[in-house]
Amino acid sequence: MGEITLKPKVTFKVPIIAETITPDNFAGKPIEEIEKLEMWEGNRKTTLGDLFEAAGSSGEAPADTKIIIEGDVRKVRRIGYKMTDGQILIKGSVGMYLGEKMEGGKIIVEGDADSWVGAGMKGGQIEIKGNAGDYVGAPYRGDTKGMKKGTIIIHGNAGNEVGCWMRGGTIIVKGNAGLFPGIHMKKGTILVEGDCAGRCGAMMKGGKIAILGYVPSVLPSFTFEEIKKSFKVKGEKIKGPFYLFTGDLNENGAGKLYVSTEKNKHLQFYEKYLE
Amino acid sequence: MKTIRNVVCPFCGSLCDDIEVEIEDNRVVKVRKGCAISATKFTKYNEERIYKPRIDGREVSLEEAINEAVEILANAKYPALYGWSCTSTEAINIGIEIAELVGGVMDNTASVCHGPTILGEQDAGISTCTLGQVKNRAELIIYWGCNPAHAHPRHMARYSAASRGRFVKGRKERTVIVVDVRKTHTAKTADIFIQIKPNSDFELLTALRWAVKNGELEQEEIAGIPAEKIEELADMLISCRFGALFFGLGLTMSAGKARNIEAAVNLVRELNNYTKFVMVPMRGHFNVTGANEVMAWATGFPFAVDFSRGYPFYNPGDTTFVDVLTRGDCDAALIVASDPVSGFPAEAIRNLAKIPVITLDPHETLTTMISKVVIPTAVVGIEAEGSAYRMDAVPLRLKKLVEPPPGILSDEEVLKLILKKLKERVK
Amino acid sequence: MELLIKNGYVYDPINKINGEKMDIAVKDGKIVESVSSDAKVIDATNMLVMPGGVDIHSHIAGSKVNSGRILRPEDHYKDVKPRTAITRAEVGHTVPSTYTIGYRYARLGYTTVIEAASPPLKTRHTHEELNDIPLIDKSCYLVLDNNWIVLDYLSQGEIDKCAAFIGWIFKALKGYAIKIVNPGGVELWGWGKNVESLDDQVPPFDTTPREIIRGLCKINKMLNLPHTIHLHTNNLGKPGNYRTTIETMDTVSDLADGKPNIHITHVQFCGYGGDSWITLRSGAPEIAKYVNNHNHVTIDLGQVVFGDATTMTGDGPFQFILQNLTGNKWKNADVEAEGSAGIVPYKYKRKNFVNAVQWTIGLELALLIKDPWRVFLTTDHPNAGTFMKYPRVITWLMSKVAREKVLNKINKRAKKRSTLPSIDREYTFYEIAIITRAATAKALNLANKGHLGVGADADIAIYNINPMEIDPSKEYKKVRRALKRAAYTIKGGEIIVKDGEIVKSFIGETFWVKPAIPEDLEKDMLREVSEKFKEYYTVSLENYIIGENELASSKPIAVKTNL
Repeated sequence: MGEITLKPKVTFKVPIIAETITPDNFAGKPIEEIEKLEMWEGNRKTTLGDLFEAAGSSGEAPADTKIIIEGDVRKVRRIGYKMTDGQILIKGSVGMYLGEKMEGGKIIVEGDADSWVGAGMKGGQIEIKGNAGDYVGAPYRGDTKGMKKGTIIIHGNAGNEVGCWMRGGTIIVKGNAGLFPGIHMKKGTILVEGDCAGRCGAMMKGGKIAILGYVPSVLPSFTFEEIKKSFKVKGEKIKGPFYLFTGDLNENGAGKLYVSTEKNKHLQFYEKYLE
Repeated sequence: MKTIRNVVCPFCGSLCDDIEVEIEDNRVVKVRKGCAISATKFTKYNEERIYKPRIDGREVSLEEAINEAVEILANAKYPALYGWSCTSTEAINIGIEIAELVGGVMDNTASVCHGPTILGEQDAGISTCTLGQVKNRAELIIYWGCNPAHAHPRHMARYSAASRGRFVKGRKERTVIVVDVRKTHTAKTADIFIQIKPNSDFELLTALRWAVKNGELEQEEIAGIPAEKIEELADMLISCRFGALFFGLGLTMSAGKARNIEAAVNLVRELNNYTKFVMVPMRGHFNVTGANEVMAWATGFPFAVDFSRGYPFYNPGDTTFVDVLTRGDCDAALIVASDPVSGFPAEAIRNLAKIPVITLDPHETLTTMISKVVIPTAVVGIEAEGSAYRMDAVPLRLKKLVEPPPGILSDEEVLKLILKKLKERVK
Repeated sequence: MELLIKNGYVYDPINKINGEKMDIAVKDGKIVESVSSDAKVIDATNMLVMPGGVDIHSHIAGSKVNSGRILRPEDHYKDVKPRTAITRAEVGHTVPSTYTIGYRYARLGYTTVIEAASPPLKTRHTHEELNDIPLIDKSCYLVLDNNWIVLDYLSQGEIDKCAAFIGWIFKALKGYAIKIVNPGGVELWGWGKNVESLDDQVPPFDTTPREIIRGLCKINKMLNLPHTIHLHTNNLGKPGNYRTTIETMDTVSDLADGKPNIHITHVQFCGYGGDSWITLRSGAPEIAKYVNNHNHVTIDLGQVVFGDATTMTGDGPFQFILQNLTGNKWKNADVEAEGSAGIVPYKYKRKNFVNAVQWTIGLELALLIKDPWRVFLTTDHPNAGTFMKYPRVITWLMSKVAREKVLNKINKRAKKRSTLPSIDREYTFYEIAIITRAATAKALNLANKGHLGVGADADIAIYNINPMEIDPSKEYKKVRRALKRAAYTIKGGEIIVKDGEIVKSFIGETFWVKPAIPEDLEKDMLREVSEKFKEYYTVSLENYIIGENELASSKPIAVKTNL
């Protein structure tokens, strides 16, 4: 496996656009060429070599190229943009749009990630050991094509609108999630192992969401179906029991919302609708 | 002494255009027909004025101040240009050209006010109209999360609940519903007051839409309102001939924000399958709508535009000024016709105080006090003319009633001077 | 500033020049007989020279267009171009920014474009945007047919006062022609309703769509306005509506005096046969037959181009129907006492039966109507497609092979039902020059546009294609490529485009009509109108009026009326 290590040369102040930091762009290139890759520091066009110290050697193909980033890259955006293979390991916290439109490969972040992790992802895997911001997997405003394929795992908490406009793939939040997970969802799976601030599956048309922790309420445009014993994600069965709802009926949706019965005793009144 | 009629009031989004002022010795001495806020603005606009440009608190010439501003903007790697809602459309237009030239982020106060309305619109659309359509036809009016009795004092008499139109002759021919978390003054004048549990507007709007579609409400109470009441309300909405929903920060700034607006848009859209229904945002500042309009026609996007790579990029949450500032991303700022220090979160203000700030404003504000460069400008709509857009996007022309103090130019003129120098400096 | 365009093959149908090799001389912004030896020479050898394009119907400026921009941020993301020393940043695909519109039209060789529908109350906004569209000369049509004051006067039979009011509105708001959109229907949309026939009542007004159309047609003649009434029919977008279109054309045939007195716009959208989306077929043959036999009518196509579009019209109820059909986001914006606007994003797909039928209709109209002087090329930008696709549409008109290529890709049922495969006609360069500049300038009565005779404005397009050697029927791809990027575009004698790149930018002129209204009639009318304003509107009459200084470059055209 070819490995390139990048270290910021300075403390970044203004946003850094680093679309070129991908195994695809590094593969088969010597360090000197990698250092010439285009980057933006605010409104200044610059090069990777100007902003980062680069060491190591990349693989011949993206598949055998690993990029390790050390240091504070919270201002660095679009790392992993459209990558098709290979690995990126960020030993710290990272900026927005990590892995935007990626198609394959693996990104691991040891710290936190800012908003729009895996925006419009089409494949591959992203793992955030810390927390993620808002809009995990979501596309830009007005665009209706969200995450299509791939897996995103957030070990910490995620913000609002996890999986907005999702049309495939899997998102797992091991911590808590904010408002509106699965909003406008069409297909795919979202699992929140912690608590959720609410409004799950608003305007969803398909796909499935499971909340293992506490959720204050279920939207009035969801109908209670039955109690389910388990929830399946990536072939694995998660034990319930769960209250199963269908919605969003305002959109003629057939999405499925699973909510833990144990952690949501305040939803017990729905059981009166059981046949 | 002369009287000027049909003056357009430069204060709130109502943009009333029937004000009458009397001018004597280059001062406004009397105001007629306006509300109390308008009268104050027209007669007290000379209080807290700044009369000379300043750099680091030191009085300087206009030319020096402009040169310093140009240097700051030209050298910045991610400058932000913010405010814009209390000045003319022409001035904002120059600001856009400056932002594009220096590769900065151009944002206006919509991002902390009705930005969510625009976001909701971008996801779901909106059914709206100009205010006269409401005056002439609406027999059912809802004020949701807004308090026109305080924030838009003449709105109800000129445009909504108490207005006299061709087909609806006044308050008696209308039903007024207020939805709010507490009983405001506007609520006190309503026929029906719905006291909603705070931060549950999304739930109530969702339930209403579902009830309008004849869906069953499985919860006994939603947003603090009994299900039967919600169903009653849904029936009222369907059976009116023309309904209008006015909404404000109570909806845009409570939990859910843009999604609250989207839910309202979807409810109103649903209602149009049964009757005629519209919704109009209660815009706060008198030309924030104009800022959205000119930014959209010049850049494609209504606010939060990043020009750093030479073309417009838009993504609220990223390119909105309050977020840019909170993250400490910008290294310089130009603030025009706005006072962000008085309203922004602490972290954002701390970061603003760390960078060189240029402010254009007629008056001393918290923002001018932390600015490196301050350039005083004329009060638009009183000392300078220009175009402004009402909350329903009707464009009007602000008048110049008196001369500004000696040496004081309009925002538009100052920005033109800055742009001219920048064009020599930046290629 | 002198220019000499040498050796080009010139197509100037207004002056009956059909591919003649000749020089064009320019001085001080005008076409002149000859120039001195100091003139800058443009070598147009083996190139095609035409007057600059004149687009008679496009949605380029104003509240409706801007609503489209705000509604569709996703339309802008992929279509961006960074600023240059000469040009502002460009952005947007179906709803581009003002600067983008000006540059793109210029690159196509267009030099005059008219905003097709401006609501009077918001026309100030239209002008503010027109002010920011670089390079082209421009104007706007004023939507007047659902205007309460107009409807009051027409209902009361007060046609003189109505004419005075409309004449005054043109002076006050600086527009060019009377635009009619779903007459009567849009007023009823104020209550969520619509009309279905020309003789439906429009309560509480004592009038019908037919009476509105006829009234405005008469008033147009009384005011002697340079363009005819410009009409978007009732029942637009409804299967079977070709009948309404023919009825509409026919309803003013007795008012004509040998010249056209009605222009029906984007006829593709009003040319549907069948009686449902399943039985949909083209109504173009019937409409073409009528147009061929009645010379009081002009039309423009509204040709569909597959791909992204943004529908935006003043036809509120139609846009609501489209929203329900597609489930897409929808903006509706009624304008008090005047009308409405609706915007719905849309995508035309080859395999979609309805879209495929729609695509055949515009082309059938162009190919079946014999007189190219009465058929104009538009896509009703951005409703049926963007104006950037004009070169592609041109190749469909010039090349049967190009048409067949598309026919083989569209929905098969639609192809089977269409008469298009059996049509052999192919437009010539001369005819293309007619339908994109000569005829449109003539229909607008713009004496100095659309031709290259002495005295004309020096608005010229030079394309890098040799009309003598190329066979547009076979080499349509070359034609398209050449028309997409003008070798030169000249505006008012200044070279603004070279090899498809903008080399100079400035603001063109906003022209508008100033009809002369008899003083007493105007006074009487204004007294009444001031009273109505207080009841109907929420702005004062004084603030409704737009000052000439609000136009960046105002060019009023005085009109002697028959009042």
